[in-house]
Amino acid sequence: MPEAAVRELTFAQAIKEALAEEMRRDPKVCILGEDVAEAGTPFKVLSGLVEEFGTERVIDTPISEAGFTGLAVGAAMTGVRPVVDIMFGDFITLTMDQMVNQAAKVHYMSGGTWKVPMVMRTTLGAARRSAAQHSQSLHAWFSHVPGLKVVLPSTPYDAKGLLKTAIRDENPVVFFEDKMMYKLKGPVPAEEYTIPLGLADVKRVGRDITLVATSSMVQVALGAAKLLEEAGISAEVVDPRTTWPLDEKTIVESVKKTSRAIVMDEGYGRYGVAAEIAAVIAEGAFYQLDGPVKRMGAMHVPIPFSPPLEDATLPTDRTVFEAARALCSRS
Amino acid sequence: MAISVVMPALELMQETGKVLAWRKKEGEQVVKGEPLLEIETDKAVVEVEAPGEGILAGITAPEGAVIPVGQTIAWLVLPGEAVPAAGAPAAVPGPARAEAARPAVAAAESSAPAAGGGARISPKARRMAREHGIDIAQVRGSGADGEILASDIQALVDAKGAPAAAPVAAGGTEALGIIGRLMAERTTQSWTSVPHFFVVREVDAGALVDAHKKLRESVEKARGVKPTQTDMLVALVARALAKHPRMNASWTGAAIRLNPDVNMAVAMAVNDGVVAAVIPKADSLDLGEIAVQRRDLTERARAGRSRPADIAGGTFTISNLGMFNVDSFTAIINPPQAAILAVGRIADRVVPVDGKPAIRPMMTLTLSSDHRVVDGARAAAFMNDVVEALREPEKWLR
Repeated sequence: MPEAAVRELTFAQAIKEALAEEMRRDPKVCILGEDVAEAGTPFKVLSGLVEEFGTERVIDTPISEAGFTGLAVGAAMTGVRPVVDIMFGDFITLTMDQMVNQAAKVHYMSGGTWKVPMVMRTTLGAARRSAAQHSQSLHAWFSHVPGLKVVLPSTPYDAKGLLKTAIRDENPVVFFEDKMMYKLKGPVPAEEYTIPLGLADVKRVGRDITLVATSSMVQVALGAAKLLEEAGISAEVVDPRTTWPLDEKTIVESVKKTSRAIVMDEGYGRYGVAAEIAAVIAEGAFYQLDGPVKRMGAMHVPIPFSPPLEDATLPTDRTVFEAARALCSRS
Repeated sequence: MAISVVMPALELMQETGKVLAWRKKEGEQVVKGEPLLEIETDKAVVEVEAPGEGILAGITAPEGAVIPVGQTIAWLVLPGEAVPAAGAPAAVPGPARAEAARPAVAAAESSAPAAGGGARISPKARRMAREHGIDIAQVRGSGADGEILASDIQALVDAKGAPAAAPVAAGGTEALGIIGRLMAERTTQSWTSVPHFFVVREVDAGALVDAHKKLRESVEKARGVKPTQTDMLVALVARALAKHPRMNASWTGAAIRLNPDVNMAVAMAVNDGVVAAVIPKADSLDLGEIAVQRRDLTERARAGRSRPADIAGGTFTISNLGMFNVDSFTAIINPPQAAILAVGRIADRVVPVDGKPAIRPMMTLTLSSDHRVVDGARAAAFMNDVVEALREPEKWLR
């Protein structure tokens, strides 16, 4: 039998397919947010869904993030499974009370009687010339709160499998998509599959250094690994895929093997996801470390509007390559 | 005030020690705890650490010299300080000397700030250096700022290992390492001069296996080390020994000395022989403490870096060959101890239980005793308590 050609989808198509499949599977799944219906979001991720499922299930809301997120929390408590769309991750600041003090707490404070099976989909990432209020990566904020699960897919395959799991989860999951990655293509099988939360994926096997990378940084890490290979350094790329639950074991085991690590995350390095993962490594692999654990993330500044300045705030294949080579003492 | 370096007594019966090698030269600055010299006793080779801080001076014992224990063999002095004349009162170890040494330490630090500060070294490299007994002060780091990296240590280990890897001569005789030679001498002396007799008990190890399974996780969680079945045996046998002082005694040549503490020696296989590492007062330690000490002792013994205290003062030995699938064996006593317990593997056997054949995990224990110190009845009574302890390990460990 000839092998079936591997089907390729873009990241955006994979997200839409996950939503469509889950909406067909469960009539309680619905979408609400700004410009989600006819407009299909500014990134055209949801195009076509309102035509199939109607405005009762793909609901355009006013510009009122706190309002419709609260609506979703309440609806979820009654058994609806809303998927809230927050157009830019920067706007999660408006939803903080609903997410942190309500959604994250209800299950615990009710002794498990109430559940909040909602998903918040939002975006992260700079490099889109969107300036300081539309370019941040604020997933660390939610990762800090017990009661919220946080997902950071980096490939179309992971995006579909993780989103389906998130929608089926009985409590709130926040799902961050990199704006720059929507057009990224990758293999996505047509058959049904899901990916559990809390399971890291080794995106590339290596020997000399571990690059732990999330979301947008996974592609940067893979690019740097290629450059490193030419320099005779074998880099392993580990993608945690979820910051909570966090697959500490896979990360620590990788660093125990390689003895060196750089943690890359597009959030701010200070007090951020990269800092937390670096601490996990220091605790779990201290006596195997042959150098300091390095963090690489967004520069500690509001993201500039000026394109050359904006580009300078982010790690690139090249800067990661240089940092890794220095850690391996082959500069 | 100058600090004296004396030939240490590692064993109650030890009279002399031989200087194998000085690790520091005269005139070199040393800090407290640094390896100063290597000595050989009739049991093992150990490193002697610097008792304090100062400049090494006045070495009276050249390499190869055999020196009575307690004799001063060198001094640690302050810059400019003269070596005390022979017979001058040496600073005695203990709190008084520590007081006197304090200003000297401060002076040394202010005059030579770099001394003892050491090179920067990665955690992995430091661990490897410790495991392989490499003095990091002698290592040149290859890191960007001269840090010592794991690869630097590995290179030294590889270089060290190369000549040692060919001890077999063409004719097929194997050159003996120091541990191997000592093992040959000591076992011959014991076997030919100590009147051995043996008492054998077969025991049901079911309760031991169950208790081990149960305690393994909790001890690991609390102490970060998984206790072995040998650790369980150390704890249980030590508690039984506490009730049988004669089994914990020593033959002095003319009389029997009852030892105040139960210091359990555990025979450990190392590269070229066996080392009996000592867990002091094992009868009063809980399983977790025993496991931690045994792990540290094993790591040092395997790296050939046992400290004097690691092998000193044992009053009874356990030798477990269960992991090598040995059913049972007899062991040679380690004088001046009075006995050694040889432990075989735990294996399923068909045994009668309530008059019916049953399959139980059985283990054979063989006690070798010195007949000058104990007799058959005493040995049997002790073995009875060991068997009792194995029947109800958790009660005995409480």
